[in-house]
This record gives sequence, structure tokens and C-alpha cells, in this order.
Amino acid sequence: MKMVKRIAIQNIKYYKSKNFLIGIAVFLTTLLLFLVPTIGKDMIESQFAATNEIYPSYHALLRDVDGDMVEKLSVYHGIETWGLRSDAALVSANNAQIILLYMDEKGFELNNQKLSEGTLPVKENEIVVSRGVLSALGQEAKTGDTITIPYQVNHDGALDYVKEKPFVITGFLESPTENNTQNNSNALYPALISKEFLEHEVSPEEIRYRFFLRVDTKEHTTTDEIKKQIHAIGESLHISENDIRINDDYLLANYVDPVFVPVIAIIMCIIVFAGVITIYSIYYVGISDRVREYGKLKAMGASKKQLKNMVLLEGMFVAGIFIPAGLIVGTLLTKGIFTLFFKLVGNKNIMMETITQLVQSGKVSLYHLPIYVLAVLVAFLTVRLGLQKPIRVVSKITDMEAIRYQGEDEKKKKGKAWRKSYKEVSVFRLAKIYLAGKKKNVFITVAAMSATGIFVMVVATVLSCANPKESAASSILGQYKITLHVESDNKEHPERKWNNIIKNNPLTEDLKQEILNIDGITDISCFLEGYATVDIYQDVDTYCISGVPDEHMEQLLDGIIEGNVSYEDLQRGDVCIMDKNMLYWYPDIHLGDTLKFCFLDEGNHSVDVKVAAIGDYDSGFNNYNYFLMGTRGLENICPGELNGRFTVFAEEDYNPNVEAAIKQIIGKSDLLLLETWKEQYDIWKSALLITNAAAYAFLGILGMICVMNMVNTMIHSVHLRRREMGMMQALGMTQRQLVKMLVMEGLFYTAGTLILSVGGGSLLGYPVYLKVRELGGFNIRTYHYPFAAAVAVSLILLAIQLLLAVGLGRFVKKDSLIERIRYSE
Amino acid sequence: MNNIVKVENLVKCYGSGENLVKAVDHTNLEIERGKFTAIIGRSGSGKSTLLHLLGGLDRPDSGKVFIEDKDMYDLKGDDLAAFRREKIGFIFQDYNLIPSLTVWENVVLPLGLAEKKIREEKVMDILNKIGMKDKKDSLPATLSGGQKQRCAIARALVSSPAIILADEPTGNLDSQTELEVMDILKKCVQDFGQTLIMITHDEVIAQMADVVILIEDGKVVRKS
Repeated sequence: MKMVKRIAIQNIKYYKSKNFLIGIAVFLTTLLLFLVPTIGKDMIESQFAATNEIYPSYHALLRDVDGDMVEKLSVYHGIETWGLRSDAALVSANNAQIILLYMDEKGFELNNQKLSEGTLPVKENEIVVSRGVLSALGQEAKTGDTITIPYQVNHDGALDYVKEKPFVITGFLESPTENNTQNNSNALYPALISKEFLEHEVSPEEIRYRFFLRVDTKEHTTTDEIKKQIHAIGESLHISENDIRINDDYLLANYVDPVFVPVIAIIMCIIVFAGVITIYSIYYVGISDRVREYGKLKAMGASKKQLKNMVLLEGMFVAGIFIPAGLIVGTLLTKGIFTLFFKLVGNKNIMMETITQLVQSGKVSLYHLPIYVLAVLVAFLTVRLGLQKPIRVVSKITDMEAIRYQGEDEKKKKGKAWRKSYKEVSVFRLAKIYLAGKKKNVFITVAAMSATGIFVMVVATVLSCANPKESAASSILGQYKITLHVESDNKEHPERKWNNIIKNNPLTEDLKQEILNIDGITDISCFLEGYATVDIYQDVDTYCISGVPDEHMEQLLDGIIEGNVSYEDLQRGDVCIMDKNMLYWYPDIHLGDTLKFCFLDEGNHSVDVKVAAIGDYDSGFNNYNYFLMGTRGLENICPGELNGRFTVFAEEDYNPNVEAAIKQIIGKSDLLLLETWKEQYDIWKSALLITNAAAYAFLGILGMICVMNMVNTMIHSVHLRRREMGMMQALGMTQRQLVKMLVMEGLFYTAGTLILSVGGGSLLGYPVYLKVRELGGFNIRTYHYPFAAAVAVSLILLAIQLLLAVGLGRFVKKDSLIERIRYSE
Repeated sequence: MNNIVKVENLVKCYGSGENLVKAVDHTNLEIERGKFTAIIGRSGSGKSTLLHLLGGLDRPDSGKVFIEDKDMYDLKGDDLAAFRREKIGFIFQDYNLIPSLTVWENVVLPLGLAEKKIREEKVMDILNKIGMKDKKDSLPATLSGGQKQRCAIARALVSSPAIILADEPTGNLDSQTELEVMDILKKCVQDFGQTLIMITHDEVIAQMADVVILIEDGKVVRKS
């Protein structure tokens, strides 16, 4: 083993340029294998950490829960943690209201509450307040002081007579908004009282809790699974759906696309593939020399196992040096990449600000030991796979074959005694003749580089189709969208219920006129909306039918991809167009199926509507309403004031004065919401900038791994032909001609790679674009050929190839002509 | 006297300090146009270094080499390459043929590099003279040593250089082939009016030369 090790080390030194190239490929592979999962995990973990800082972390709260139910829930399988809150009394003071509420420690934690000082109340006369509470009470006090509070206990759903009681302050609530609420009339402040106080003031049968819970996230990993589990808990314990409030803010902020992990795994597989073919092809080019050398060792008595170990050890030694280097550089780059990411985003929202603070303060670690281990293992695996073929070649060959081994090209050539001569020999022809004699090397090099090139072009095609202006235009029709704030289960805001809105809809003709009067507004279209539950294969859910105004009927009809329906049909109310997105959830719905819509109005009446066509529409057009018909059609089947959306068209995509004027007008109603083209544009611009930067950085490194192939092949060809080139120069070949010949050879690799990459990538890019478009990725609608990427890939390859040719030309020149002529391999 | 080569005080050393070897030591030499000059000497006497300096394959430490009154080492880089292409043809002991090119392509290579028009009859005439006409499309790997050297001779003759430098061209050949090659070389030189400067160990071949130069320790010790 000692000798095997020594020979392996000597081989590293002897084949240093080849091993250095393999080392670079291993280094870059490790770098990507480390960075891709690290950045992915950092994104998720920092998002989770920020979410936990910003939002209450319970998954759902169950209202009106009595003591018995608390007992049942507390032992329920599948609930990971839970906490309680119960409102005991109300304090009315100086235009503000203070709720005296009890929260247990877990409830306090799940509500993301923090004490700026002190402890939670335990005794009956203890209380935790905030500065806002004291201000509302018109008192000043500190922890340990006693304050007197007049309060009304809640009995039988009504407030009791006012009582007064002295409380000892045990702590202060930390509230980020308390300073802002100082002068806020009608403000609502919480103050925490003890369980003893609650049980003393409210009889046990009257106590009602809010039960905050988190389901077991090990069993239920996705947002959808968590929601399903919550509903299952409610159903099994007969808790009314109205008493279940899911913490959507938290769940949405914590949402991880289920395809995230598979995507990271696929990207890592691509990296491994690129690494393997690069290492393999670097070894392959020039394997005949190595086999001859190993054959001599075999003739001297080395066993197959020893030969295998020599190749393996050599590769592993190189990996042992370059894998740690990749990890070190990856570690150094991680924070920089993360910082750059936030610079690109621009810290525009509280989430980003919180993530930045958490990362800067070190509360979120960007480095994960399992990923280091994973990167090391996968990188070693990549090297091992890359060595598989050379090991097999070395171990299979017999002594004599090894000594005679000349590679497949040479074998073929040996059998070929002659070929038709070219009458004249030029520099171009010299390159051509040489490459024609090295077909397999050329093929392997070009194929290895093209595999990456095609991947680059396909990704570039998708990215070039993603344009922030087009994406924004797909997300919003016109420049401004005014919609209604509809909520079905918010008891605090009954006015937001749909059947209340349609009785007094703020999207009126007057409002339309008022907005039209703003300078710069050119037109407003009014889309109707009708909320209904639809029974689709026993799965009852709420949907909204959109009534498309006349001026957009042409667009509606143009979007039909299956079936046939006329303008007149769509105004009757018995047929509709269904958006193809519905087929994603309900693939069994067919053209011609009749669906029963039960409208959420006073009468809750039902109407049968036939799916006459299937259409493909932007979210800006359908506003996520997947059933569409004409306005008169909807009016025929659904009573009430159905104006659901004003799409406002303006002279300019963005004008702050116009936006301010619209905001001022709609600010008069709490039920109106405004979305702008500019907001969408900014969101898409930022998202695409990040995606582009990340994707091209990844592709760049991947490209560099594969360029190692060309570098190796060209270095190898020059190394082998030093004597031949020296002879040509002795015969009068100028340095310029030598470089020209190398450029020609390199150009062949470049041209071959470009033809396959740009050609194959362009051909493959189109179906991939169609698929991404179908899946709604980046909101892309229009195909754009990735000219910039094609030009960039071509120029970069040409530049590398030219630099390589000039560099190799200089390398050859380093030795005197006579040294080169005398050079013997 | 019509000298084609003139060497003045030429010096070439290898190594440094105690290991310094003076391969060519202040050598002065004149070689007559159209003659066959043999350079002889023991191994390590500096004859090959001298030949390489005459052909511009290496650079001297000092001194001058005039080819047709032009100081060759005044030229650099591509100019030197062009001059060499124009004036000098080389024949080496181990042939130095380009393995991927056929016999024809090897022969016409100097013309191709000089971007000169190829006169097929002239090339065929040379191949005919050296007996390689039938092998013109063969690859070097399939040729015998003698055939390879004939091919190398044809390559040296094809661009009609004024001087042919031959570094032991028969060193790897059997005695029969050696005589054949020498015969071809002499004939070609006579027919094309070229100057042949050849290094050799072989007394018999040296006797075929018009002029014999003996080199010892980097210096010309005798010219006859």
C-alpha cells in the first residue's frame, strides 16, 4: 500500500496540469454542491426565523372552548404545543378600551408577546400592563407599584357592573406599537391578569378560552397538510368551522413550496453530472499514456487491485485538497451572497428588514454542518464516479495490451496505412487533419461541454421570457385595480361579508366617475363578481364567477383553448368559460359538464351553469376567478350590486400623482383595496433580478466546470505535440501561424459546442418555455429568444478559447526551438 | 570565394558556474556555396550545437552567423522563421515527420507554411527522384526508416532552400539504406545547386564530402 500511495503521489506531481484541471473542476463542483443547498436552507430558515419574530406562531386558534374541551384538546394526538387565552373583563378609559385577559405561558409565547420587564401575573391582584394601558388610565407607575383599575366582568355575554380593584404591576408588555398608540382614540390595549383572577371573577362554566395550537410539523410538513389536520381536529371534536381561525399570515409566510427540496436535489444531480463528465473526460483525454504506464507497472508485478488503488488514490488525493478549498471559499461566499441578495431586494418590507437584522445579529446561522457533510460526501462521490471508467480501463487491460495500448483512435489509425492527400497544406488544413485524427477526444470534449451549454440555453430561454413589465402586465389589467375587501369569517368585520357588500357596494358609478375625472386616467372597466359555493364531485368550495364587461369580451373569447361559445351565449347566464387552472385541481371536469352554483346572497339560490369552453387567462384578467361569463349573464343569475373590480387604465404605467389621487378617493371606504401596476412591476423586477443573478451565477460556475474539458483537451494536445510543433516551426511556421492553428482547433471545439448548445438549447428551450408558461412560472406569456445569452455564451467561449490558444502558444514558445524538437514524451 | 555561410566568433554555453559547458567556443567558419560540407567530431564536441546555431534553431550567447551576408540573429520571431523557411532546409536523424500528415503533405508543408503555390510536377519530380512516388498518400507510421528519411529529404528540398542542414541523417539506417540516402542527397544537391552541411560520425560518409570540418571542444580545429 505504501508503494501504491507513493506512486499515486508521484503521478499527481507528474501529471500536475491534468490534476490541477481536475482539481479546479472538483473545487467548482464542491463550491456549487455547498452553495446551492446552503443558500436554499438559509433562505428558508431566515424566513422562518423572521416569521417567528413578526407573527404569532400558532397554526390556529379555536374560539369559545370550555374547560372540558381544553382537557380533550390537550391530550389530542397530533397537537404539538398549545396555549390558552381567556378574556375576563373590559376597562373603558379615556376613549380607549383595555381588555383584562389571562394568558398562560405557552399562549403568551405562541402569541409572540414579550415582557420588556418583570414577570407574568400569578396572584389574583397581579397585573402586567403596557405604557399604553397606563396612558389610557391616566396613571404613571413602575413595576411593583399598585394601580387601581375599574373593570366590568363579562357575564352571560354582557358586561357586568363596574368594579374597582387595586393591582400590583408585575411587569410591562413589550409592544412595538405602544408609542404610536399614545394619542390614538378608540385604541384597544391588552393587560394580563392571573388565572386566579379569572377563576375568581368568572364561574368555571362561563369561562371560555381561545385555544392556540400548533400541529405536529414532523407529521404534517406542508401548509396544506397543516390546514387539513386543523380541520380534522375540529371535525373530530365537533368544533364549529366558524370557531376555527387559521393563522394564515403565519402559515403563508412560512410556506415552503413542496417542490423546493426536489428542485434542490435535481440541481445537485445536474452539478454531479457536470462534475462526473468533466473529470471523466479530463482523464479520458490522454488515457493511452496512463495505461501504458500502468501496464509497465503491471508487467513488473502490480496487481489489478493495486492499479485500481493507484488511480483511485490519485483522484482522492486531488479531491482531498480541492474539496476543502471549495468548502472554504463557499463558506466565505455565503454571507456575501446573502448580503447581495438583500441589496437586490432592497429591504422594502418588514420581513426583509427582520431577516437582515437576524442575519446581522447572528441569531440565524448561515452555516449548517449537515450541508458540509453532504457536500463533502457528494463531491467525493462525484470524483469516484468520474474515475469509474479510467479504473475499469486500467484494471481490465492485460500486461502486453497495456504496453501496446494506444487508445482507440490510434488503433484505428494503425490499420489505416494511407489516405488521400490534400494537394495543398494550409494552417487551417493542419488543424483539420489533426482533429480528424482525434475524433473520439473531440467528440467527448464537445459533448461534455454541449451538455452544459444546452442546459444554459434552456434556462436562459425561460429567464429571457420572464420580463418584469410583461409579468406585471399579466398580473394586473390596466395600471390600477380597485377591489373589495371581502372576508367571510371575520366576526370583527361583518361588513366584509359578501352578502352584506352586495347590498351596499362601494364600487359605484359615482366612484367610477370621480376616478375618471383624475388627470391621466383614460378608462375604467368594471368586472362583476358573484360568490358561490360549487359542488364539484362532492367537494364543496367557494368560488367567484367573473362577469366580464363588453369591452373585454373579445379578450375573453380569444382566450378559449377548448370548446366553443359565443358572445351571446355568455350573456344568458347558463353557460360559462372555465379557466384551465381549475383542471389542475379537478382534472375530471370535462367540457359540457354542468356545475351547480349556490350563490352566497340572501336567498342562497342555486343555478346550473354549463362549462361551454375552457380558456387560458392571465391572473390580471381573471383576478383568480376561474369561471367567467358576460356581465349580463351574471346579472341574470345573481341578484345584488355585483361590481367586484374596477380596472383603471391610465396614460402612464406609473404616475405618483395619479396614484395618490386614487388613494385619496378610495380611502373614504374601508372596503376598498388598491393594487397598482407599479407594485407588481417592482415585485417582479426584484424577484427576477434575484432569480437571474442566482441562475446565471450558478450557470456560470457550471459552465466553468465544463470549460475545464476544453482547457484540458487543448493543453493535452499541445503537450503531446510539442515536438511536432517545434518541427513545424523549424520548417518555417511562424508564432502567428502556430497560434492561428491552435485557434482553429479551439474554434472547432467552440463551434461544435455552440452549434450543439445554441441549436439544441434553442430547440429544447421552446418546449420548456411552453411547459413553464403552462405551469404559470414567472407569469411568462410571450416567447423571447435568448439572444443576449446566446451572444454571451458565444463570446465567452470564443474569448476563453482565444486566450487559451494565445496562452498555449506562449507556453510552447517558452522552450527554445531545439529543446522542443528534441522533446520526447 | 563564394561563401554562403560565415560564422564570426560564435559562442554558446550551457549551464553555469562549475557546470558551465562551452558547446561552441569563439568559433569562426566560412562555408562555400554549392559544396557538400561534413562536420565531424566526437560526441559532445559541439557539432550539433553549431549546426543548430547555423540553422537558427537556437540563439548564440555571442557572435554572428551570416547567411548570404545577412546576419541571421538580427532577425527575431516571425521574421527569423520566414528567413529560415526561405533559406534553410533541415534533415534530422529521427526524421521528425508530422505523424498525422501523409508523405505528400509532409513534403509540401514548408510551401504551405510559406503560403506558396505548389507546383505539382516539381514535387512529383522530387518524389520520383527519391523513389517515394508510390508512397505519396502513405502515413509515416507505415513507412520504413529509410522511406521516412527519404520523405524528410524531399521536404528539405521542396522549397529549394540555399542550404540544407542535415544532423546525422543516416544515423538510424542500416548500411545499405545509408548509402542509398547519401546517394539521393548528393544527387539532389548537385541537381538543385544547393549547399549541404551535414553532421556525421561516419568516416565513409565524411569522405564523400567536398569539405570536412573537425570540431573539438566547441572549436574548429581542422578544415580540409
